[in-house]
Amino acid sequence: MRLYDNELDEDGYRVRLMLAMAGLSCERIAVDQGAGGSPVGPVSGPVDAVPTLEDGRRRIAGAPSALLHVAAIAGAPWLPDGPAGERVARWLDFAADALAPARKARRDALFGLGARPADVAAARQAFRRLDDWLTVAGYAGEGFVAGPSPTVADVALLPSFALSRDYGLEHDEFPAARRWFRRLRALSGFIAMPGIPDYH
Amino acid sequence: MSGAVALSLAASLEPGSVTGTHLLGRELALWRDADGAPHVWEDRCPHRGMRMSLGFVRGSAIACLYHGWRYRADGRCEHIPAHPDLAVPDTIRVPVFPVVEAAGIIWTAAEGDLVLPGLPAGPVTAVRSVTVDRGEDDLWAAVAALPAPDGSPVAIEAAGDRVRLLTLGGDRLIAALQPVETGRSALHLVLVGEDAAPERLERLAGWAVALRASAEGGEAR
Repeated sequence: MRLYDNELDEDGYRVRLMLAMAGLSCERIAVDQGAGGSPVGPVSGPVDAVPTLEDGRRRIAGAPSALLHVAAIAGAPWLPDGPAGERVARWLDFAADALAPARKARRDALFGLGARPADVAAARQAFRRLDDWLTVAGYAGEGFVAGPSPTVADVALLPSFALSRDYGLEHDEFPAARRWFRRLRALSGFIAMPGIPDYH
Repeated sequence: MSGAVALSLAASLEPGSVTGTHLLGRELALWRDADGAPHVWEDRCPHRGMRMSLGFVRGSAIACLYHGWRYRADGRCEHIPAHPDLAVPDTIRVPVFPVVEAAGIIWTAAEGDLVLPGLPAGPVTAVRSVTVDRGEDDLWAAVAALPAPDGSPVAIEAAGDRVRLLTLGGDRLIAALQPVETGRSALHLVLVGEDAAPERLERLAGWAVALRASAEGGEAR
């Protein structure tokens, strides 16, 4: 497999993390990105989205599809069926929609003119919902969003939470999400990126 | 103001971990060493001002993320990786605050001595912490106004400056308020008693979420 991505891109990290957690390796090709996140300049092979995963002759564009592709290869624990699978689907949806302001806030803070307060506020509300959910899951002894073991949904959610300090949103008020983040960092296969340490 | 102020539920701080928090706008690093003892420090490395809460705990010491300066539990720097043979001067230290863990809560003192309020004896169960964008008075007013999960009015008994005992239906809770900064407070909630069923804790957590919504929905004073 081959991954077109950028070291500082949150969505690229999503796919790298899923690959690493699943114990899969890939060749990485660095792509420059504009402030909006689209590829710019000469790249090795034409891709119009970052990240893009290449598996044989297939090209899978964008983190949501690439994550599902890798999780399907990894198998049941990462992409469960039944009730846990429904929870996974719900949280993947959440990662795509409710966390969009978080991704935008970080991009604007790092590569643009600064995060918009409305995006930071929306990101904070999303992390509250994640923290509320993980708090209650913890009462039943479940440490991850879809149950007692990690899934692709945790991998989809983690980068936005982990990188929130890039636009000044601290983790103080999310104790359950903080412990969940630490739990994920301790898993074998966890990898770092700038802003996300792998120590715990 | 005097006496004890809550900073966290004890259960939210695992051995070998560190987090940032705020007390009256002041940045604090809250960490627990590998042996389980909690520590409350100023959140600032004396070297370059990096936040200690981004550092890492190793055994009974904590190290700064920037250059690895390592500090022991009394706040003294014990090791500087760039100068491994240096006997580190006594004056390099992080300001340390008093800390006590009691009734499932980690307490410090905003100023003066740490004097714990009178709290129910016996085991407790962590419910949750909830952070609300309101000052202390607004948050307590919202606590008084919100019915218990069973619809009954909440009974409130003062236990300390910022600590109250709540009766919510058949449940008795310790509610300890942390003045985070102007216009923001956290409420740390523990249930008096042990072996609480998950459903019971979930009901109480739901009450805390409703409290956040009703407090933030009301007018700020």
